[in-house]
Amino acid sequence: MRVLTYLAHRLLFIIPQLLGIILVSFLLVKSVPGDPAVLMLGPTATPAAIANLRGALGLDQPLYVQFFIYVKNLLHGDLGTSWQTTRPVLDDLVQRFPATLELVTLSLLVAIGVGVTLGLYAAKRPNGWIARFADLYGLSVGALPDFWFALVLIFVFYTLLGWAPAPLGRLDMIVLPPPTVTGALTIDTLLAGDLQAFGSALSHLALPVLTLGLLNAGPILKMTQSTMEKMLESDFSRYEVLCGVPQKLVIRHALRNALPSIVTIISVLYGFLIGGAVLVEIVFSWGGAGQYAVQGVLNSDIYPVLGFVLFSAIFSLIVYIVVDLIYVLLDPRISN
Amino acid sequence: MLAKLRLFGRLALIRPRFAAGYVIVVIVAILAILAPVIAPFSPTAADSLSFLQPPSGAHVFGTDNVGMDIFSRTIYAPRIDLTIAILGTGLSALLGGSLGALVGFYSSGRGIRVWLSFALMRAADVLQAFPIFVFAIALVASLGQSIQTVVLAIAFVNAPIYLRLMRSQVLSIRSMRYVEASQVNGLSDFQTIIRHVIPNAMAPVLAQLSINVGWGIVLTAALSFIGAGVRAPTPEWGSMIAMGFQNVVTGQWWPSMFPGTMLAVTVFGFSLVGGSIEVLADPAKRRLLLRDVRLHDMARAAKTAERSSLGPV
Amino acid sequence: MPDLFTRMKLGSSRRQFLQTTAAAGGAAMVSASLGKGEAFAQATGDTLVIAAPATPQGLDIEFDVSLGSIDTLGALYEYMLGYEKMEDPNAPGVLREDTSVHADKPNNMALRGRLAEAWEVSPDGRKATFKLREGVVSNWGNPFTSKDVKWTWDRKFNAKGQGLFQTAVLGLTSPDQIKIEGDHAISFNLDKPTPILLRQQCNLANPIYDGTKCAAVGGSDDPWAINFLKNDSAGFGPYRLTQLVRGQQAVFEARADYWDTKPAMKRVIMREVPQSASRFSLLQGGAVDIAQFLQPRELEALKSEKNVAVDAVNASYMIWLELNAKIAPFDNVGVRRAVNLAIPRDEIIRTIYYGYADPQTAPMPYIYPMVDKSFFSYQYDLAKAKALLDKAGVGKGFSTTISYNAGDPTQEPIALLIQTSLRQIGVELTLEKLPAGVFYENVTKRAKPMIFYQDSPWTPDPGYSLYLYFNSKSYVNYSNYNNPDVDKLITDGLATLDNAVRLPTYAQVQKTLMDEAPWGFIAYPKYTLARKANLKGFTYYTSNNLRFQDFTRS
Repeated sequence: MRVLTYLAHRLLFIIPQLLGIILVSFLLVKSVPGDPAVLMLGPTATPAAIANLRGALGLDQPLYVQFFIYVKNLLHGDLGTSWQTTRPVLDDLVQRFPATLELVTLSLLVAIGVGVTLGLYAAKRPNGWIARFADLYGLSVGALPDFWFALVLIFVFYTLLGWAPAPLGRLDMIVLPPPTVTGALTIDTLLAGDLQAFGSALSHLALPVLTLGLLNAGPILKMTQSTMEKMLESDFSRYEVLCGVPQKLVIRHALRNALPSIVTIISVLYGFLIGGAVLVEIVFSWGGAGQYAVQGVLNSDIYPVLGFVLFSAIFSLIVYIVVDLIYVLLDPRISN
Repeated sequence: MLAKLRLFGRLALIRPRFAAGYVIVVIVAILAILAPVIAPFSPTAADSLSFLQPPSGAHVFGTDNVGMDIFSRTIYAPRIDLTIAILGTGLSALLGGSLGALVGFYSSGRGIRVWLSFALMRAADVLQAFPIFVFAIALVASLGQSIQTVVLAIAFVNAPIYLRLMRSQVLSIRSMRYVEASQVNGLSDFQTIIRHVIPNAMAPVLAQLSINVGWGIVLTAALSFIGAGVRAPTPEWGSMIAMGFQNVVTGQWWPSMFPGTMLAVTVFGFSLVGGSIEVLADPAKRRLLLRDVRLHDMARAAKTAERSSLGPV
Repeated sequence: MPDLFTRMKLGSSRRQFLQTTAAAGGAAMVSASLGKGEAFAQATGDTLVIAAPATPQGLDIEFDVSLGSIDTLGALYEYMLGYEKMEDPNAPGVLREDTSVHADKPNNMALRGRLAEAWEVSPDGRKATFKLREGVVSNWGNPFTSKDVKWTWDRKFNAKGQGLFQTAVLGLTSPDQIKIEGDHAISFNLDKPTPILLRQQCNLANPIYDGTKCAAVGGSDDPWAINFLKNDSAGFGPYRLTQLVRGQQAVFEARADYWDTKPAMKRVIMREVPQSASRFSLLQGGAVDIAQFLQPRELEALKSEKNVAVDAVNASYMIWLELNAKIAPFDNVGVRRAVNLAIPRDEIIRTIYYGYADPQTAPMPYIYPMVDKSFFSYQYDLAKAKALLDKAGVGKGFSTTISYNAGDPTQEPIALLIQTSLRQIGVELTLEKLPAGVFYENVTKRAKPMIFYQDSPWTPDPGYSLYLYFNSKSYVNYSNYNNPDVDKLITDGLATLDNAVRLPTYAQVQKTLMDEAPWGFIAYPKYTLARKANLKGFTYYTSNNLRFQDFTRS
């Protein structure tokens, strides 16, 4: 029951938080110069035509009126139209957001695999060579810009070795994309039974997932290592060792207690990467949502930017709520 | 002073990675300062007669697609990158830190201050939930491309981190006796904060600063890569990587690889320095470190004694 | 009542804008997801597959001049007149429009009747009568009559888009000046003679609509069928639209009831591939017949491919620097000349265009009649440039800003080369990169001292071209050039059909313009087509677009 009220509280808070985010992004995007009417009509449009279009778009209204109109349309599910793609922003995002989500999720899985494993081993044997390697790994990986690392991987695996496909999107151009179910190519191709497309999707995912996965394993590794060390040095672990509990079990119990911090950092990374993967998206021409938003800012196309901010904010908030729920489940002290 | 240097030398021996960090940072700083003396070519002179040449005797790192010498540009770049990162991070620490101290100090108690600090925290939440690249690009797009704008973008993006850091530090310090004591003694809130709270909260902030400078360099490079950083042809690692980006696929690796490697090494150095500050600032870890230093001294003394005497001591 | 040319609409710049934002393969580009839709139909014999930077945003030239749109116009629609085709002397296997002045031909032009079978221009040049072709039907089955031409031109007066320019440029002030003379006869009645009356009938911007269908479909709500024509076509051209999914692809099919020779390509698929590197690799792999708008570097790389051919033709494109006459020190002609002497054109063409451009040596396209390149005197000479600066009183040098379009990957490197060169004569340039939208705003607001511009005037006529950029009343005169004598010469040349008068007039105009250097003249980029080696028939048009009906497979 307490869990339900907690959930209800959190969900209630989402609305004002979202409104705040939309307001900030609205003001921010409006401050970027560039008149959408001029852009839509072209540089030689007459002043009369431009004024006409501005009126039609509602751009001549004061800012707060424009904001209210935007929010009102939002409530009807209308996120506006992108003047670059001439399509509703909602359609554009529904197409692009799964691309980013697929990339980020798979990368995070790789990062968790590498980071948690290395972190565990490093904590188990703090003076062993794995621990030293893990330290170095964490430090160096935090220093690498992701777009540059992606370039290095492309150069090595595509230009030199020819193992990876060209960094030109999610699928080979010749391959037929599967019917869209989730938007994630790996899932959809399997659902459609199209193994060739599945292989193509995987091969195109290899380099970007490797880039983001290896680079973001660093923070996870560090967090795992430090929390596990603390847990293994704490009283309950020492007591277990004294009682002769096998090492595997000791570690498992320590891990259980370390999970909240590890889960926290994973959730923070998840939320961050939705917008933070944009550079990798650009290098690999991924067609993701972050790229879409960046293009919007650079070309004074405000609705894609607002739509993207909304999507990613909602996503982050949901992730945080899920994480907090996991805490409640994990930590018996909270739920009681 | 000499004793401190010698201590530092011994620290370097037992924790080589700290030494490496400081060495890297110092070298990069020297390069930045001495670039006009060392660089064989002007960093902004386009010599189209020798465009896209691979590394050779004349051009150690090769040339880019308008013929600018990559070596010269790579060693001039730290001037811009370091300046922006240090200024931006410093500004964010100042802004975020001072606000965070206030928020932490006033987060419980009476009246309007509590509400203000609550509101500030929620505002920081909103800022952090914002996709950072979109935010930074929008800022640069609206204020125009210049060093000041990029500094501002970095400051804004990082401020919430320092806000939270300071706040949590202050919250824990606030309950300390000496704070109570200073208030009982009649010091105003402001004076208490300045004289007692902030100095004691500084340690983790300093560690964070160094790491953040490294991250600031990466963010500057990222912004330039997208086209929202410093204006061309200012030598800056990120924009150099961006200019050479198209050529990586066709096999000309040198326009992007050299600046990228320099960037990675520099940020690595700053992270190491940050790690060392973290150890030195944390009293528990510092004790461990000094213990290792003493052990090392003892081992060395034992060895010298062994060598100078005829037998074991 | 718009006076002549006051409200100029170039009709080419927006597509340039979208070309540069969408076609470039730089770091920050639009990239549509390739999720939905069909994959590429393998290019079989009579299907033409094109990798384009963008699908048409709208099919109505009245409101849309995006790249994708202009490539469809020539296929969906038919025009009153067209030019005869000739072989391109510089590009083997390529045809082009014969736009030259021919003293021995009727009207002194090499024209072919299309929807107009025969025509007559009165001796005073004020009335042109067209006898229209019979037996032509539209893609909706409606027969072509003079009513369609009338409806088309009425629309230009009423739709409040590009039409305002098209009517103004001919001096038309009222729809009544276009009179139906019979079911298949129509006349244009001008107040003043204009030498471009017939040329405008060939202009891509003046397609003839199926008035019957448009009126029926629009009804009273939308009498000019604006909503309908945005997404579909109603015309007399060789193709009809079968599918348009914006952001993905557009599909066209040849019409069996087309009045002229049926096209060899029965089906045309235009697929949107925003990155030039992707279009490049598609062509390389044989998945498409044509990869549009590749970068010069990519064209170079294609030369070694056996199954691919690259055609590069002299085109009507020009790229130049607007030197704002209202912002110091560019109000001083000596300074402008000095800048021109210091622009390293050969370097730019070699390094950035890989040879796919020619130096700009005249203030109008070098392929247009009456162009005079002999007045160009700005061969690279830094010493001369310095001397001019001294004379102008800025011998110590000065600093200013050069603004360029972030969406065009050629402009930044050109700016860099110019910056290095000008530095040697003491001029310090600060490069200012502007996102595409802001860039065009600054161009039209005439707010910057030095700003790039790339454009092409569609009508191959000196008066048309020179008026656009250099007449002080022209909306498109972004450099603020103002010379009343030149104004008068230009308008005089547009008021007579006598080429014996126009030639020396425009020679004089060009001489003055080159002397007064309102622009930093840079280059004439060529129009390039990267295609499969077995695809023939490419024809160059001054509106810089493709017409699908030209292509055949060998």
